[in-house]
Amino acid sequence: MELVQGTLEMLVLKTLALEPMHGWGIAQRIERMSNDVFLVTQGSLYPALVRMKRRGWVTSAWRTTENKRRARYYELTALGKRQFEVERASWQRASSAVNDILRARLVPGTA
Amino acid sequence: MSALADLVTRLRSLVFRRREERELEEELRFHVDMEAERLRRAGLNDAEARRRGAITLGGVERTKEDVRDARGTRLFEELVRDLSFAVRTLARGPGFAIVVILTLAIGIGGTTAVFSAVDAVLLQPLPYQQPGRMVRLYQYFTGYPDRNFVTPLHYLAYRQQLSSFDHIAAALTYDAVGKDIRSSDHPERIRILPVSADYFDVVRVQPAIGRAFGTDEENGAPSVILSHDLFERVFHGNASAVGRTLLMSGEPYTIVGVMPAGYVDPLADGVTAWVPLDLRPGLDAENANNHYLDVIGRLRPGISLARAQSELDAVGARFARQYTGARDIHAILYPLKDDVVGAANRSLELMLGAVGLVLLLVCVNVATLLLVRGSARTHEFALRVALGAGRARVLRQLFAESVVLALAGDIAGLVVARLAMSAIVALGAGSVPRLTSLSVEPRVLGFSLLIATASAVLFGFAPALRAARAQPVDALRAEGRALSGLKSHGRLRTNLVIAQVALAFVLGVGAGLLLISFPRLRSLDLGVKTNNARVFELHLPDARYDSTARARFYDDIAGRLERLPGVRAAGGISKIPASGSYHNWGTQPLTGPMVGRKDAGVGGEQRVVSGDYFRAAGIPILEGRAFDARDAAGTPLRVVVSVSAAARLFPGVDAIGQRLRTGGHDWEVIGVVPDVAVDVEGRIAAYVYHAHAQFAGDRNWSLTQIVSTTGRPEALLPIIRRTVAAMDPQLVVYRAMTLNDAIGQGASQQKFTLTVLGTFALVALGLAALGIFGALSYGVKLRSREFGVRMALGAERGAIQRLVLRQGLAVSLTGVGIGLAGAIAFSRVMASVVFHVRPLDPFVLAGAAAFIVAIGALAASVPAHRATSVDPRSILQ
Repeated sequence: MELVQGTLEMLVLKTLALEPMHGWGIAQRIERMSNDVFLVTQGSLYPALVRMKRRGWVTSAWRTTENKRRARYYELTALGKRQFEVERASWQRASSAVNDILRARLVPGTA
Repeated sequence: MSALADLVTRLRSLVFRRREERELEEELRFHVDMEAERLRRAGLNDAEARRRGAITLGGVERTKEDVRDARGTRLFEELVRDLSFAVRTLARGPGFAIVVILTLAIGIGGTTAVFSAVDAVLLQPLPYQQPGRMVRLYQYFTGYPDRNFVTPLHYLAYRQQLSSFDHIAAALTYDAVGKDIRSSDHPERIRILPVSADYFDVVRVQPAIGRAFGTDEENGAPSVILSHDLFERVFHGNASAVGRTLLMSGEPYTIVGVMPAGYVDPLADGVTAWVPLDLRPGLDAENANNHYLDVIGRLRPGISLARAQSELDAVGARFARQYTGARDIHAILYPLKDDVVGAANRSLELMLGAVGLVLLLVCVNVATLLLVRGSARTHEFALRVALGAGRARVLRQLFAESVVLALAGDIAGLVVARLAMSAIVALGAGSVPRLTSLSVEPRVLGFSLLIATASAVLFGFAPALRAARAQPVDALRAEGRALSGLKSHGRLRTNLVIAQVALAFVLGVGAGLLLISFPRLRSLDLGVKTNNARVFELHLPDARYDSTARARFYDDIAGRLERLPGVRAAGGISKIPASGSYHNWGTQPLTGPMVGRKDAGVGGEQRVVSGDYFRAAGIPILEGRAFDARDAAGTPLRVVVSVSAAARLFPGVDAIGQRLRTGGHDWEVIGVVPDVAVDVEGRIAAYVYHAHAQFAGDRNWSLTQIVSTTGRPEALLPIIRRTVAAMDPQLVVYRAMTLNDAIGQGASQQKFTLTVLGTFALVALGLAALGIFGALSYGVKLRSREFGVRMALGAERGAIQRLVLRQGLAVSLTGVGIGLAGAIAFSRVMASVVFHVRPLDPFVLAGAAAFIVAIGALAASVPAHRATSVDPRSILQ
């Protein structure tokens, strides 16, 4: 299942809030954390990472993985952490509102 | 903060583009490898893993593109790519690019340089406070167009009665007012200006040290104010010099003040000291006829020039009732700025017109060339769009080409501007006021750059816009007919070419007029023989030379010089010919048919001569005799008159023996000589010559000595110096030069104007020719296919060539017709700059028309010939 538009960046922020990670790792994490419901393609992931870098939410650095391979690791900045909190709060508000709507039943006498 | 991060990331992406790409490659490879590894571990067989890997890999390039987009540097990268592609495209056909760049360069550079000259000389105000309030005053004899200086009688009346002025001052600007001083042990001649007490109030610059003159000194009191320069040179800046005595031509003057450094006199060049004017003659009614004062004034705040003029008229009328001698005189005010810039004014106005014309021509030229090229490429664009290039892409490509052309033109234009500026300064040095302070005027440069760039970009872009809008299928189907398919496009182009032709014609007429007037100016008969003659000035100090001594000295030196080997004749004159009007006095006939007539009398240029002046200047005696020993002091007063003077004073009768009145005396005419020019433009005036021996008792007019030689006059100077020193070692041989140079000084400003304008016009004409040729011939070349079809259908080669020629001629002739109207509109301004040439000289008009029609014919026939001489099949295939 493709990600809902605009949520990718929030999920990346969440992933990186746990620990610094490289691109493939981020994609794996999101898939696994969503119990393989979401599929993160590299075509959307890497442009998103570049955009987030431009906004100053993440920084990147080359490091060696446990398998002794060079990989670019992304890390949240203070700004990125704040951004994550902002996005989480607004997502929770929006999703609970959507859920409220979905749960709603017709009550006579109300609009 | 995030904006900064954005900028840093983008900049890094730009600067380290290659590294970024490498890292992206590595990052994505890592991703693919990890994915394949994962899939394998998940139990997929190798084939399936590879297949999945390939799918992922296929996405890699796409991902890369997306990442590049996300970097936000894409636009710039593509711009660079577009620009370099544009440079390559243009370089493939360098002729087109060179013509456009050259046109822009000359347009921008030439107009900037010439306009900056106009700005420096004409538009920048005089270096005084509120220069717009300063006016100059001249008097006119009713019915005569010549300006006259002001009589002291009038000046004093104006000063007393006019209420429109804060101050109104007089100065005696006659050239000859110079004095000898001793600076560091050798005699030096300085230029002094006698001024009225309020002179420095009018210019609003007061002495930096000491004081200005008081009205009680307006009796020729021996006080002097020094220029800062002279003060430094003679007194080494020692302020105690004020109050001390300076010997000038043997007379002691008290130094009362020193002007501030850098102060420049508005009325006379090179003045280094000021003395009080002697205004006592103004109290004498006899002087109602004696015009010798330069009068300037400063208008009161809020008083307009017109209001001051009407007050002046009223005062003048009242005055005329008082003094009979002032009856036919009126005075006119002029803004001082106009007057100081003077003759340069008209020529610079003309330059301004020429500059505007050239800038317009450049824009039209560039527009036409770009439009023609653009329509020629309609097919190419259509093909590109059909092959999948985005319309925006094609548009951007064309835009880039225009930008490259405009930028190259701008840069070349800056270079041309610099070169042209130094050329103009070098050319005008010394002859055009305030030109030395010339620098590139930034606003003008900006304007030219903007106009030229805008026209290049705009017209380069316009055809692309049109082409991109067209359906590629239609354009492709139209193929070679793409041109005729865009009817409105063709009409626009034709109109532009007509405009080009019209502008070029006006320029051609201007250039032609200047070209033919230049040699006419040089060969202008001034009435004197200027070859092999040397001139120098001698000023005899009043303190040591009384009138008898002066007369004896001038006779003596002429005789001594004539006895030198190689000298033909020598003599002196108070003002050499063709150097301007001077001592122009009212002259009335006392005998002959004009006596008693209201229009009798003439403004006569009075000249005092000594020695054998007429022979030295190459002026023959037509009737009667020249002055000789018989015309000594105390003998009856006699004059020699010019042909014009004789014709106006004594029409129809023999002038010899007639009598006239001028300068307060009666004179008998003893000789008639041919006319000489009063200025370098060859204007003729009535001349009245006086013998110095008879005149010396009246006034001390220093005489310019003319020595004519049989060989080259250059070697004579040391011998002249020795001869003068032998007579009086304290005298200064002042401003020694050849007669040619002495007269040429006046001609140099005209020469400057002519050279700058002529060169400019010729270059512009060349440009115009190039533009017309380019536009017309390219247009014809584009129709090769059409000609092929026509010939295949049986049209004769000659018929097609004639058709093309006819169309080319029609365009050229229409342009010439419109240009003729323009030339007529310009003729009034043109008339003021050219010499002895009618501004609509038929020869010049015909020449310019022939030149332009010839170019039009050539531009049409050459490509038509080429297009029709190939096999039609090869074109059609």
